[in-house]
Amino acid sequence: SESDPNLISSESYLVLLVVKRVRQRKQDGTLYLMAERIAWGPEGKDRFTVSHLYADIRCQKISPDGKAKIQLQLVLHTGESTTFHFANESTALKDRDATKELLQQLLPKFKKKANKELEEKNRMLQEDPVLFQLYKDLVVSQVISAEEFWANRLSLSSVEHSISNNNKQEVGISAAFLADIRPQTDGCNGLRYNLTTDIIESIFRTYPTVKQKYSENVPHNMTEKEFWTRFFQSHYFHRDRISTGLQDIFSECAKQDEKGLKSMVTQGVKNPMVDLLSLEDKTLDEGYGTATVPTTSNSSNKSLRENSNSAIIKRFNHHSAMVLAAGLLCVIFRDAPSDQASETSSTDGNSRDSDFFQPPLKKVKLQEAIEYDDLQGDSGRKTISLNLKKSDRYSHGPTPLQSQHYTTSQDIITSISIIQHEMRSYKPRLTQVMSSSAASSAIIALSPGGVLMQGGAQQTINQLVPTDVQSELKHLYMAAGELLRHFWSCFPVSTPFLEEKVVKMKSNLEKFQVTKLRPFQEKIQRQYLSTNLTGHLEEMLQAAYNKFQAWQTRRMMRKT
Amino acid sequence: MKLNIEGLLVYFPYDYIYPEQYSYMLELKRTLDAKGHGVLEMPSGTGKTISLLSLIVAYQKAYPLEVTKLVYCSRTVPEIEKVVEELRKLMDYYAKQTGVKNDFLALALSSRKNLCIHPEVSSLRFGKEVDGKCHSLTASYIRAQHHSNPCQPVCQFFEEFDAVGRQVPIPPGIFNLDDLKDFGRRKGWCPYFLARYAILHANIVVYSYHYLLDPKIADLVSKELAKKSVVVFDEAHNIDNVCIDSMSVNITRRTLDRCQTNVETLQNTISRIKETDAAKLREEYMRLVEGLKEANVARETDIYLSNPVLPDEILQEAVPGSIRTAEHFVGFIKRFLEYLKARLRIHHVVQESAPQFLKDIYEKVCIDRKPLRFCAERLRSLLRTLEIADIADFSAITLISHFATLVSTYSKGNLYDYDFHQKTPTIANPVLHFSCMDPSIAIKPVFGRFQSVIITSGTLSPLDIYPRILDFRPVTMASFTMTLARTCLCPLIVGRGNDQVAMTSKFETREDFAVIRNYGNLLLEMSAIVPDGIVAFFTSYIYMENIVASWYEQGILENIQRNKLIFIETQDAAETSMALEKYQEACENGRGAILLSVARGKVSEGIDFVHHFGRAVIMFGVPYVYTQSRILKARLEYLRDQFQIRENDFLTFDAMRHAAQCVGRAIRGKTDYGLMIFADKRYARADKRGKLPRWIQEHLTDGSLNLTIDETVQLSKHFLRQMAQPFRREDQLGLSLLTLEQLQSEDMLQKIAQIAQQA
Repeated sequence: SESDPNLISSESYLVLLVVKRVRQRKQDGTLYLMAERIAWGPEGKDRFTVSHLYADIRCQKISPDGKAKIQLQLVLHTGESTTFHFANESTALKDRDATKELLQQLLPKFKKKANKELEEKNRMLQEDPVLFQLYKDLVVSQVISAEEFWANRLSLSSVEHSISNNNKQEVGISAAFLADIRPQTDGCNGLRYNLTTDIIESIFRTYPTVKQKYSENVPHNMTEKEFWTRFFQSHYFHRDRISTGLQDIFSECAKQDEKGLKSMVTQGVKNPMVDLLSLEDKTLDEGYGTATVPTTSNSSNKSLRENSNSAIIKRFNHHSAMVLAAGLLCVIFRDAPSDQASETSSTDGNSRDSDFFQPPLKKVKLQEAIEYDDLQGDSGRKTISLNLKKSDRYSHGPTPLQSQHYTTSQDIITSISIIQHEMRSYKPRLTQVMSSSAASSAIIALSPGGVLMQGGAQQTINQLVPTDVQSELKHLYMAAGELLRHFWSCFPVSTPFLEEKVVKMKSNLEKFQVTKLRPFQEKIQRQYLSTNLTGHLEEMLQAAYNKFQAWQTRRMMRKT
Repeated sequence: MKLNIEGLLVYFPYDYIYPEQYSYMLELKRTLDAKGHGVLEMPSGTGKTISLLSLIVAYQKAYPLEVTKLVYCSRTVPEIEKVVEELRKLMDYYAKQTGVKNDFLALALSSRKNLCIHPEVSSLRFGKEVDGKCHSLTASYIRAQHHSNPCQPVCQFFEEFDAVGRQVPIPPGIFNLDDLKDFGRRKGWCPYFLARYAILHANIVVYSYHYLLDPKIADLVSKELAKKSVVVFDEAHNIDNVCIDSMSVNITRRTLDRCQTNVETLQNTISRIKETDAAKLREEYMRLVEGLKEANVARETDIYLSNPVLPDEILQEAVPGSIRTAEHFVGFIKRFLEYLKARLRIHHVVQESAPQFLKDIYEKVCIDRKPLRFCAERLRSLLRTLEIADIADFSAITLISHFATLVSTYSKGNLYDYDFHQKTPTIANPVLHFSCMDPSIAIKPVFGRFQSVIITSGTLSPLDIYPRILDFRPVTMASFTMTLARTCLCPLIVGRGNDQVAMTSKFETREDFAVIRNYGNLLLEMSAIVPDGIVAFFTSYIYMENIVASWYEQGILENIQRNKLIFIETQDAAETSMALEKYQEACENGRGAILLSVARGKVSEGIDFVHHFGRAVIMFGVPYVYTQSRILKARLEYLRDQFQIRENDFLTFDAMRHAAQCVGRAIRGKTDYGLMIFADKRYARADKRGKLPRWIQEHLTDGSLNLTIDETVQLSKHFLRQMAQPFRREDQLGLSLLTLEQLQSEDMLQKIAQIAQQA
């Protein structure tokens, strides 16, 4: 595909696909699929009249095969829709399918991202009451817009961060994913299967053998479509049908599954309490008992129906086990690095000293089985023991990383014993004590209000101001801080965008001063509290205004 | 806490106690005082085992001459180990409270497979292989050979035990299976034989039913237990079947073919020995003339060749002359074998009593009753004389000889029946079933020999039927309820679907499309509202297979999969174990799962579904035994004639005890909770409902007898929501959980007196 040099300005404008002769509202034009959005411009103009971010698109629809007009419709989250008509007679269908395919790949990515962003915002607000309050003060009361509020907050924390950091939880697999592809008859002797990328991923994760077959055969031997058609026709998919002996590419999968199941069974179970094989202590010898004798080598005289029934049962057990295993797999992957880390750190920490003894599984299960937690006294309640890597650090708190100043508990014990020793032999030398005047001035300096206790005066604000005023003040400070942060982040004003923003922020600040700060000041005055409570806030605002003034005069001078 | 149970000081290793535990101990003490037998039903999860142990140990300590030993029989290996662990807890508590070191010896005994420490032998997978291999290393003649020929391998652990271990008694302590193995490894002694030897002087023995009830094993292991022992059968709701199984024999054509090979091997060995070592055979002959008593030497290790009949039936006479020489005996067995073969050639079903069989055999091949009775004993002697190493190969001929002995011993009173039947119409596969009709035969010596036998379980209702079918006279029969601070079980009877079609597994309608669909809808609806695990039981394996297949076709299973993972019991135990473990895993990690299982199966009998492993149990249908079986019909006839138990009563009793077992799996304590859904309208009838254990019946209200699926879902939702509220100790205290002071108050003692309901 060609790319139009006029349109490329940054990475996100990278054009992935260009389709010419696409009509929109009866106007000929060109359709562009870019990294983050889809756009359409009329013939002969270098502007887009239609442009949608992928994230805004809910879904795409195509006109049914065989219709005269070959169209593609985009439905947005807002409910609006845009229809493109592919008008190049010879290649229309191909053009449309190419667009569809590409969109099919692109849309899911953005869908997830959009949702994730919303979720992330929601989560941040829920987890952080301060932020929530700020949001209420600034956004809900319409001092700034939501976009402005989030603009540099999200990047600070964690959407990308969490995604890149592998911290997100893998979505498990629905056990019923095969049910979702239930075939529907299309009315003319055919079956339609609904396959989505999610289902395909589920199939691959649950049945690795199918994935292997897929990578072996697609696209060298067959197309993707052909692969799935064969899959749905195979005995492997319809496990209740007894294998007809027809060689399809999936018969090997079935065999491997069988093998996997067998190995799972022969591995046996870890938990001795559910091991049915060793449940019975003494089985009756062959030939004793009233139970009907199991017919020997009975597969031959079992009916076809019975065989297929037991095949279904086997299949369900296997399917459930695989789904469960696929779910566990990602957990293991996620946990693995941290496990390793804790292990390596325990080699230098002293957690091994506690000599933690892991009783064998059987003992644990037996103890669990005989435990009556309600009969036991409180002493029996289980607590989680503190697992310390370095107990010294725990008892001393974080200490500066200067190895020579680092005191171990041994050091402390010795120094204490030295001090004790010194104290024992301590004799006051009464002739060399401080003079009484020096002593009393030291005491005065250390008393409340004294020279060395200046900080104490500040505390009185706690007692002077009622708590509701205090909290209001706190909120004001926070809101002002947030606005000022936005304001100051515009400097140096280097781009037109920042210019615009700084003007806007200035007006925001003024708005804040009028709508929030003033009423508060009046309130304080009414309550006869000292007005200098807001002094500092005003100073900060003033500083911002001064800065703005200075910047504006300089700009005016440059312009003239 | 220290309790005063009618003057007996009982140490109870917990700070709190359930009222019903106190009541249970009271009844138990009265039973022991009266030196009689007892039947006690108490729900699972109310600490039955610890109550039993606390009281009996206290009794043993107080009256060491009255009760010398406690023999605790349980059903499965995990159960046995649990009992020993509880005992350990009790003994630790004793030591802590009294400051005196424990002087009790308690041990678990299990089969070689669970106790062997021989590196080669213990690596074998199946119990039978382990037994066979052990035998080939420890049999008396093998050891004798080893004397003359040191290359002959023997088991070092057994030799060491035999040389040293017998003189040094095992020290007091609590020995679980693993402890025994550890001890054995430390000393270099065989733990299995050590345990078997030590049970004679141990204060407490914990082992499985078979060691007392199967005469083949009981004769070897439990023969010398003192009369002043207290025997406890825990989880005894199926004890009659265990008794019957141990005395029943099935013979197929394959058995006879293998027996034929055995006979040929014997013949060859005899003629070979005749040439080389004729003195040996003569010696045996002399021994047999003198009588069987002599044959007891070195029998300890020869487990395969035990006598299938009961100790008091063991013959005092000498072996009859006609089968005394080895050749004559082999000839005799051959004749018997030919007769059986001829009988198995028929193409129609025959059913006859033991005397009829004996009469027929006398008329056709002139085999008398007397030599038949000695068959087992005679074969045992012969195999030992011939020094057959691998006894496992001779299981067919052993089986035949046991059959001969049984059929001729218990002919009086028409106890045995047998029939020939064909499995499939096309291939004739006749089986000779020789089945015991009367469970009391196997258990009679136990009741006769020991001063107190306690039969206890969570589900023994109706209580009076057990003394009747086991033919004994208990001094106490009591059923205890579970005192509850909150109603943590919710039994519901679902009788119809939302379309009003009756829901039932009745034979005529069980394959009905509507019934199957309604069952499916019930499971589907429940899977959407019940958290974590659901266990569903079907009446039989085949029925489950059919239902699963049609649910699959109708897409019901797929819809269920949207809510939970599905695991299904199969007929392969290893496969089922895996499914079970995965099921628990899925419950554990929050996905939730459904286990489809079968009543009377291994899962329903041995696996508990505590807490989130089973928040609901659904019983699809009434688990009647397959009533068309001839063996069952014969047994029902026998019950009617001998004990005046009506057929229907017994069938219903049997079905209900299994249903109760299934649904009881979900409640394993007072902090646990679970739904019990009986999906069959027949449960609502008084004759069915009345046979459920009292602790379930109590919570069945009239409003929950014939519900539709929708109503069930509503009630379940309500119940689950209530149960999900936090449940603290304070909520229970004083009601279903007592401190010592609360227990001693006059009020409470009066209340407790009402917990036990005498039958």
